[in-house]
Amino acid sequence: MAAPSAAGLSRRLRAWLPRLMQVRWSRYNPNYVEPEVNKELYQKPSEELSEEEKEKMDLRAVLPIKAAPPSLSSSVFSDPMVSKFTNMMMKHGNKVLARSLMSQTLEAIKRKQLEKYHKAPEEEKEKIECNPYVIFHQALKNCQPIIGLCSITRGGKTYQVPVPLKDNRKRFLAMKWLITECRENKNRRTLMPEKLSQELLQAFNNEGPIIKKKHTLHKMAEANRAYAHFRWW
Amino acid sequence: LRLIYTTTAMQSKNIGASGPEKYTEEFIEKQIQEFNLGKRHLANMMGEDPETFTQEDIDRAVAYLFPSGLFDKRARPMMKHPTEIFPEQRKIQWGEDGRPFHFLFYTGKQSYYSLMHETYEKLLNLQKYQDQLLAQDLLSQKEKRNLSGSRWLTKIELEEMLLEKLSDDDYSRFIQLLEKMMTLPCGDTEEKYIQKFSKEVAAQLKKVDIEPLKYDERGVAFSTGKGVRKTARATAVVYDKGTGKITVNGIDVLHYFPVLQDREQLLFPFQFLDRVGKHDMVCTVSGGGRSAQAGAIRLASAKALKSFVTEKEVEFLRQAGLLTPDPRVRERKKPGQEGARRKFTWKKR
Repeated sequence: MAAPSAAGLSRRLRAWLPRLMQVRWSRYNPNYVEPEVNKELYQKPSEELSEEEKEKMDLRAVLPIKAAPPSLSSSVFSDPMVSKFTNMMMKHGNKVLARSLMSQTLEAIKRKQLEKYHKAPEEEKEKIECNPYVIFHQALKNCQPIIGLCSITRGGKTYQVPVPLKDNRKRFLAMKWLITECRENKNRRTLMPEKLSQELLQAFNNEGPIIKKKHTLHKMAEANRAYAHFRWW
Repeated sequence: LRLIYTTTAMQSKNIGASGPEKYTEEFIEKQIQEFNLGKRHLANMMGEDPETFTQEDIDRAVAYLFPSGLFDKRARPMMKHPTEIFPEQRKIQWGEDGRPFHFLFYTGKQSYYSLMHETYEKLLNLQKYQDQLLAQDLLSQKEKRNLSGSRWLTKIELEEMLLEKLSDDDYSRFIQLLEKMMTLPCGDTEEKYIQKFSKEVAAQLKKVDIEPLKYDERGVAFSTGKGVRKTARATAVVYDKGTGKITVNGIDVLHYFPVLQDREQLLFPFQFLDRVGKHDMVCTVSGGGRSAQAGAIRLASAKALKSFVTEKEVEFLRQAGLLTPDPRVRERKKPGQEGARRKFTWKKR
């Protein structure tokens, strides 16, 4: 049984970073690899697997694997983006509340879309998207900025330099803007699911305050184009 | 020649400067003789045959005759072969006239640099061979060597092999050279040379033991598993030919785990193997919180399901992370800080 090294707190990780005190350490040995939960990948017969996948499977057969975290599951209902968003919405570790808010949001989206669907004439019925997960993913994609600004200090002055963003950073910014927008700019009487569903539907149609924020960021980056050569990476 | 005024302190030998104690060959041989003699005495004392007295017998005998309550196993009395106790050391590298034997002695890391030279020479030969093949258009298809079955020697193992300290940079350069050699078509001698620096890694699946199924009075197959997560301890009994009913500590799962996430975790192993309505489960769990108990039962049920399922599916279970106990536990609070990571508020004055 692949048992991870349950080392004491004083043990440092392997010497791939010598002489530097590790602050962000993990209880797992560095050899351990992330688990792969997708059921379909395992059920494919070996002929259909591509070369890369076969190599990856062979490699994983020899390495020890980390335990799957409690938010990960192989069921159809668990979505990594939705879980990430729920975690970002969570306050003081209250996952139950965050998860119920998320499910209420998705329910509210579905209800609104169904209302629109039933009221619409025949030709437009097919264009209305009713699946809340699809709406969520599309809205987040629409909110993601392509380019960001980074403050670089040269000769005493700090310039805002346009910088290409990584995928993780884009997703994080989109989710962060959505949550801060919903927390700050809502009426005292409206509840979070209501406001969130409103924002998500607006973002899905490329309107609303978050899309505006994204566009202002892009315009600022375009305006500061002159300083782009300050970037050295 | 000038008279230098020295003090007694400067005249005494600097003991630390000469490095670790060097053992002569006669000393080691004498130790080996004493060890063998002592082994025979010990066998006589324990009333066993001196010829077939193994190391395990020696350890047992020493633990019996010299019981020790010390916590650290390395501090307790032990009797091992001198080659295991005295570290392997290099013999003196220079002759009587003071001239060193090896031409790279003055680099400081003679065996490392000579190894790099040898490896690079082989690499150049391989490249020449490849160029020849290219010129004659006989370049055969690269046979993919099974990379997943072997690993390179770790830095510590390489240090033991060379009897020299290496830096991480040196070690990574050597591995880069070996990787480059792997990409070229190799002959037999080069293969043997590379194999000296690689070790076989057994598939992880072999470390997992699968217990056989047990049968209860009604003839229904069942198996048990134990799971641990943080402070929670769980045991699960999974019965065959069931309807998907789960009972925890005598209470139905819907009442014991009102949160959806916990119930999802309990069903995770069954859903992964497509056996959701086919098994019954009875579990007992204690300790920990709600999420820890769910995680413990998940591990216990996955371990129990191992006996119902083929080896390939056990491998899939392992790769999905269902069979590894989660090692994350609560980090302790440190003195001088408010919590495990949170420091006290910084006050300027």
